[in-house]
Amino acid sequence: MSIVPKETIEVTAQSIGINNLSPDAALALAPDVEYRLREIMQEAIKCMRHSKRNLLTTEDVDSALRLRNVEPIYGFASGSGDPLRFRRALGHRDLFYVDDKDVDFKDVIEAPLPKAPLDCSVVCHWLAIEGVQPAIPENAPVEVIRAPSETKLPEQKEDGLPVDIRLPVKHVLSRELQLYFDKITELVVSRSDSVLFKEALASLATDSGLHPLVPYFTCFIADEVSHGLSNFPLLFALMRLVWSLLQNPHIHIEPYLHQLMPSVVTCLVAKRLGNRLADNHWELRDFTATVVASICKRFSHVYNNLQTRLTKTLLHAFLDPKRAITQHYGAIQGLAALGPNVVRLLVVPNLETYLRLLEPEMLLEKQKNEMKRHEAWRVYGALLSAAGQSIYDRLKMFPSMPSPPASTVWKTNFRIIHSCSANLLEEQPPAEKIGNDGALVPLSNNSSDMETDKDPAALGDSSAGRSSPKDIRESHSERRQKRDQLEKRILRTPALLNQAWKDDLDSGRLLLLLFELFGESIFPFIPSPEMAFFL
Amino acid sequence: MDEEEIEKAVMTYLKKKGFKQTELAFQEEQQRQHPKTALHSTNSHVDPEIACQILSFSSELESNPAQYHEGYGKLRSWAYSSLDLYKHELLRVLYPVFVHCFMDLIAKGHIQEARTLFNSFREDHEMMHARDLQKLEGVLSPSHLEEMEFAHSLRQSKFNIKICQYSYDLLLQYLHKTQSVVMLGLINEHINFQVSPGQPTSISDDAEVVTLMGSGQDAVNLINQKEIHWGLLEDSLEERLEKAGALVPDSAKVDGEAREGEVEENKKRPYEGGKQGASLKKSKKDKVATATGKASRVETSTVSVAPRVKPELTLPSIPAEVEHSILEDLRNRVQLSSAALPSISFYTFINTHNGLNCASISQDGSLVAGGFSDSSLKVWDMAKLGQQTGYATSQIVEDSYPSDSLLGANSGRKSYTLFQGHSGPVYSATFSPFGDYILSSSSDSTIRLWSTNLNTNLVCYKGHNYPVWDVQFSPVGHYFASSSHDRTARIWSMDRMQPLRIMAGHLSDVDCLQWHANCNYIATGSSDKTVRLWDVQSGECVRIFIGHRSMILSLAMSPDGRYMASGDEDGTVMMWELASGRCISPLVGHTSCVWTLAFSCEGSLLASGSADCTVKLWDVTASTKLLKTEDNKTGSINRLRSLKTLPTKSTPVYSLQFSRRNLLFAAGVLSKNT
Repeated sequence: MSIVPKETIEVTAQSIGINNLSPDAALALAPDVEYRLREIMQEAIKCMRHSKRNLLTTEDVDSALRLRNVEPIYGFASGSGDPLRFRRALGHRDLFYVDDKDVDFKDVIEAPLPKAPLDCSVVCHWLAIEGVQPAIPENAPVEVIRAPSETKLPEQKEDGLPVDIRLPVKHVLSRELQLYFDKITELVVSRSDSVLFKEALASLATDSGLHPLVPYFTCFIADEVSHGLSNFPLLFALMRLVWSLLQNPHIHIEPYLHQLMPSVVTCLVAKRLGNRLADNHWELRDFTATVVASICKRFSHVYNNLQTRLTKTLLHAFLDPKRAITQHYGAIQGLAALGPNVVRLLVVPNLETYLRLLEPEMLLEKQKNEMKRHEAWRVYGALLSAAGQSIYDRLKMFPSMPSPPASTVWKTNFRIIHSCSANLLEEQPPAEKIGNDGALVPLSNNSSDMETDKDPAALGDSSAGRSSPKDIRESHSERRQKRDQLEKRILRTPALLNQAWKDDLDSGRLLLLLFELFGESIFPFIPSPEMAFFL
Repeated sequence: MDEEEIEKAVMTYLKKKGFKQTELAFQEEQQRQHPKTALHSTNSHVDPEIACQILSFSSELESNPAQYHEGYGKLRSWAYSSLDLYKHELLRVLYPVFVHCFMDLIAKGHIQEARTLFNSFREDHEMMHARDLQKLEGVLSPSHLEEMEFAHSLRQSKFNIKICQYSYDLLLQYLHKTQSVVMLGLINEHINFQVSPGQPTSISDDAEVVTLMGSGQDAVNLINQKEIHWGLLEDSLEERLEKAGALVPDSAKVDGEAREGEVEENKKRPYEGGKQGASLKKSKKDKVATATGKASRVETSTVSVAPRVKPELTLPSIPAEVEHSILEDLRNRVQLSSAALPSISFYTFINTHNGLNCASISQDGSLVAGGFSDSSLKVWDMAKLGQQTGYATSQIVEDSYPSDSLLGANSGRKSYTLFQGHSGPVYSATFSPFGDYILSSSSDSTIRLWSTNLNTNLVCYKGHNYPVWDVQFSPVGHYFASSSHDRTARIWSMDRMQPLRIMAGHLSDVDCLQWHANCNYIATGSSDKTVRLWDVQSGECVRIFIGHRSMILSLAMSPDGRYMASGDEDGTVMMWELASGRCISPLVGHTSCVWTLAFSCEGSLLASGSADCTVKLWDVTASTKLLKTEDNKTGSINRLRSLKTLPTKSTPVYSLQFSRRNLLFAAGVLSKNT
């Protein structure tokens, strides 16, 4: 009957040591307890009002208790940050406690002193001058309170108050531009396969004076993408439109990028693009990936968080196993288009786990759905190409020796790759090698010796990795032929080599990893001489 | 139905109820009547219905608490389905019946039933009586009824309900038809119907018609009959200035052989007209003379010709130079009206960490005091505040001499003077009229006097037993008044340790107070939802103003002494006419607590500051003029025109103060999350 149940009374009685409180007594006490509670709260509210607040605090309750000559309840100070909350004890329906965290004494002592709270002060401003509020930052913005609407206008006039209402600025667009815009949008929506559309794209990519239309185009693109996700030709046309706009040297598109990016990324990683089987959404994703990449390349210096945000979005899509496989494909393509470095840093570390997930999808016996299997293979292909691109790029980096004769380019490479693989096999730390730099000739001799020694082992490894023995033999002989020239080159470029060694260690590992993951299908991405020496 | 049976039933009823005297009387009567059987027989066959009722009544009373629930439910559904024209009048009956049903059930110990009744019907009355219901909700045993003043006073007194003849008839018919004895009993016992012939009253004045308490109301009426002299002090500086300006013979100053002769404005107080006769007429004539004299000088001035009274307290003398500066201020005063709104300078407290309890601004706005919950009182000198920044810049510009020494003297770069001495949250602070003293009141039940010149505590006044909510200097200084949780207000003078007067009478905390312009009265606002006006000299309560629906938080007296404004927790502001004790207009607009009210110096504008982060300006003259010209009872329907709402940037307004030159100062604390 009262809001304080008699169980509460019983529990409280027990907590203060009265174990044999009769239920009748509890029942009789309950209403009185409620009345006293209300009384205390009434006083507490008075204290709150006199502190000119609308929020009751524990201090108010304490002072109300003091008014009644009751000891205040200690330990419940309501801090400004986190209010104390009662938690339900596990396993008990009606037992609550205040969560009181253990604090390590050491932590308290070692913690840096908190900042001293700012001292109270008074600032002065004009709230009104002869009844009119000046528009200064200290005053509440007037516009928020009095929205300039048509209906309010006459009312204010009646009051005789001078009110300055500004109409929103109109963007004036010439008739020609309007026509142009209408034409383009119509083409995009209905006839994107016509020759005319191609010409329109060309015009968009080159014409000067289109800049006033950019906000309209961005709006148009955003709208159409959000509405037409099932309309494949439209999406493709829109992406081509974006591409053309990006190409146009007279358009200053930066301010609209933030509106444009979401639609573009949608076309890259959306779950479904188009609703027919015939829609080649892979193509659209590939194309969009290049669009994204070009945006990143062009504007990353203006928006320095553009690429990080983009990669974060894409990586998120890539690493989420719940996403559809098509979304993974888009994400991989996007990341790949951003450059081999991105792939190496973000995709390759996750390759192994991802491929493990992907494998069952690709096998005929595990995945019966042809469509799904096809998709999985697509993703596999995308991954392979991304990874391959990255390793290819990696390997291409090295031959930048000063004035190298054409033939020595790959000789040097060969040397590096070779020594790298040797390193790997020996598990010899690079520091040691670098330490030996002082005596270069002995080193190279040394390493060539090692080579000969270790070759069988390397060979064994490679064959375990399912490579063809024939390749290996070839590469082996080739290697031996080039050794003399190589040594000459090394003599000439110690410093560069030093750097190269450090890098090549990484790429060697990378190569090995990729090889383990993809098997020989990675070979096409490795320039033949390097591959030869790798093997 | 046998007559004897009835008598038996009556006897048993009386016995059970323990009405010994009545029982005896009844028996006597019975014996006397027995011989005259002839008479009896006529009686008896008229009465079978009554007898039936009495019998059922006695049986029901004993057993059936459900009767209340049922009876009230029926009455309610009947009232709701009654004729539209009379519905609102009949609905008014419901609240008193509801409350008394509840309390009767409690008193008889049927707690459970009381609860269910309360919960099933409370929503009906939530809108009008939310706060009362909240209080009643806590009543859970008969002893609580005794303990709680509100319940007690409800049970002691009667509700007055104005109702038209036809509604009354309808109600009676209903009660007879349904034989709901319980309801009939309740209505008879607790409601006092004021039946008026003709049409039912309009819905709009619902509020006044019901909430009044019966027997209490008589006392209130009685008290409100007392005369008060709301005129301004004779020989005040304003008056001197006027005299100097216009050379009008000082006709308002009556010889003053008797106090009551000087003041009355008889137009509005017909019930006193008879008492005062000749002297009144004389003063009226005098007033006309002054009025015409002044009208020639300032027509726009809204200060009506206020009658003058003599001070009942010995007033302190004003130093000559202060007097001079005040006169200077008065000459430079800006005339405010609905067309000429004031400029408002806003002092915002920042970084208070939720600790600021009150803010106060001195007459000239140069000093601002803040009372904090950490027992400290801080005073900022706004003039110096401006200089300080000046120094900071000058330090860079002219690096050489003055700035260093000044900064060194600046006591640790603090922008304020810290007054420490209280041992509890400071709830109120007030500046003396000339800004040389500050009084602060605190939860430690003391009031402290501080000197702003010496930066030190001078006196600690002890007298209250509980937290002192408010303290106010009188308009002339020297005297001050305080109000406390102990339900009293006290008058003090600076040179005595003990209070001069104790005003007791409020039924709950006295939350705020304000001096009348002539220093002869103080007004107090209380948690019992009334405002009282007290005579400082006699310590008597001379007016009770009833009408607020929640705790009263702020009061202001008009400078002409005629009106008073009070603001409450709900955001309602009410304008009262002191002479009649009537509310002339409720000002609706604020949505949260009205912390502060201030009249402009010539009384044409009222400013109110609220927790809803706005300052509102109200037109006083418009409504009072209307009242004067029409001079009738419809004045209460008028609403004062709200002239302007000035929102602040999330800063609840704690304090407002018009300077003598009519510049409005406001203070508040910047709060992010409210």
